[in-house]
Amino acid sequence: MSNIKHFFEQSWLLIVSSFFFGLLIAVANAAWSERIVQNEIDKRNRLMTDLIADANSFDVAAQAVEIPDTKAKVVKTDIYRALDGSGRTVGFAFIAVGSGFQDKIKLVIAVDGKCEKFLGFKVLASNETPGFGDKIKDSYFSSQFRDAPAGKLQLVKTGDDKKIDSEIVAISGATVSSEAVVKIFNTYIDTVREHLQTKGSAGNGK
Amino acid sequence: MASEALDKPALGQTFIAGLWNENPVLRLVLGMCPTLAVTAAVRPALTMGCSVIFVLVCSNLVVSLMRNLLKPHLRILMFTLTIAAFVTIADLFLKAFLPEMSERLGPYVPLIIVNCIIICRAEACASKNGLAVSLVDAIGMGLGFTMTLCVLASVRELLATGKIFEQQVMPAVFVPWAAMSMPVGAFITLGLMLGLVNTITKKKA
Repeated sequence: MSNIKHFFEQSWLLIVSSFFFGLLIAVANAAWSERIVQNEIDKRNRLMTDLIADANSFDVAAQAVEIPDTKAKVVKTDIYRALDGSGRTVGFAFIAVGSGFQDKIKLVIAVDGKCEKFLGFKVLASNETPGFGDKIKDSYFSSQFRDAPAGKLQLVKTGDDKKIDSEIVAISGATVSSEAVVKIFNTYIDTVREHLQTKGSAGNGK
Repeated sequence: MASEALDKPALGQTFIAGLWNENPVLRLVLGMCPTLAVTAAVRPALTMGCSVIFVLVCSNLVVSLMRNLLKPHLRILMFTLTIAAFVTIADLFLKAFLPEMSERLGPYVPLIIVNCIIICRAEACASKNGLAVSLVDAIGMGLGFTMTLCVLASVRELLATGKIFEQQVMPAVFVPWAAMSMPVGAFITLGLMLGLVNTITKKKA
C-alpha cells in the first residue's frame, strides 16, 4: 500500500500531464486531420498526374487489394485508373509502402495501361537521411524506373544508369534507401499486375 | 511597486540576452542541427524559427507554471513530455496549413523535440523563474535563434541562387555558387559568422 502511495506521490504530475498533453494533441489532430488528409489526397493526385502525362482524371480501379508482404503480413492498397480526355485508360497508379533506412517510405508507382512497363515513381512521404537517402527523389535514380519492364527489379551497385531494363543502379552512399525502393516495387508489382490482368482492367482500352 | 521596478530591467536584460549576449546559435552554439540543415533558403529558415518560438514560449510557460511541483529526478522527463506535445502540435499545424513547407523541412520539425535550446531554457530559466521572465526569455531566445537562422539563410540563398525569398536580387551576370546550398556552404557561412561575432565581442571586452 505504501509503495502505491509513494508511486503516486512521485508521479502524479507526470500522469496528469500525460493525460492533459494527450488531450491537447487529440484536439489539434481532430481539428486539422481532415485538412491534412485532403492535402495528402491533393498531393497524391498531383503526383499521379506528373507520372501519367496523358491522364485527365482518375477513378478507383480496385479497392483494398491485398499485397503479401515479405514479412508474411498483408498490406492493402487501392489501385487508381488514369483516364484521358476521351475516357481511355492510359495507366494505373497505386500507393506502395515499405521500410526505408530510418522510417517508412511511401511511394506512388505508375504503370502503363497494359501493365507491361513502369511509368516511374514519386515519393509521397519519406524521412530518409537528408543528402543521402533522400536522393531517391533525384532524377538520376527515379528515371531508371521509367519504361522499365513491369516485373521484378534487381538492384546493382555499378552499371549503366541510362540503360532502361530491370537492373537499377543504386545511389552511391544510399544503398539501403535504393534497396528499399526496389524492394517496394518487387513486393507490389506481381500482385498488382495479376490483379489488373485477371480482372480485365489492364489492356482493355476502355 | 518596488518589486515591479526591480523586475523591469531584469526583463529587458533577459530579452536582450537571447538576441545577443546569450544568442543560442552564435554564443551558446546550440541548435546546430536545424541551423545547418534548413538554412539553404530564407523561407524554411523563417518557418523553423517561428516553430521554435512557438514551442519555446509554450514549453517555458508550462514549465514555469509547474516549477514548484517538479520532482528533481523527474524534471527532464517532464520537460521532454511538455516539449514533445507542443512540437507535435506545431508539426500538425504545418502539415495542415503549410504542407509544402512541412515536406521541405522534413524530419527537422519533429527533431525540435531534441533541440538543446528548448530543454536548456526549460532547465536554466523556466524551472527557476516566474511566468513573465520565462515568457520574455522564450521570446528573446526564439527571436535570437530565428534572426540568426534568417541571416545565415539570406547569405546562403543569395550566393547560391542570386535570390532572396525566391526573388531575384543579384544582377544577371552573377554566377551562382552552388556549393552554398550544400552542407559545405552552411558550415563555411556559420564559421564566418561565429568568427565575426567573436571578433566583435573581443573588441568590446
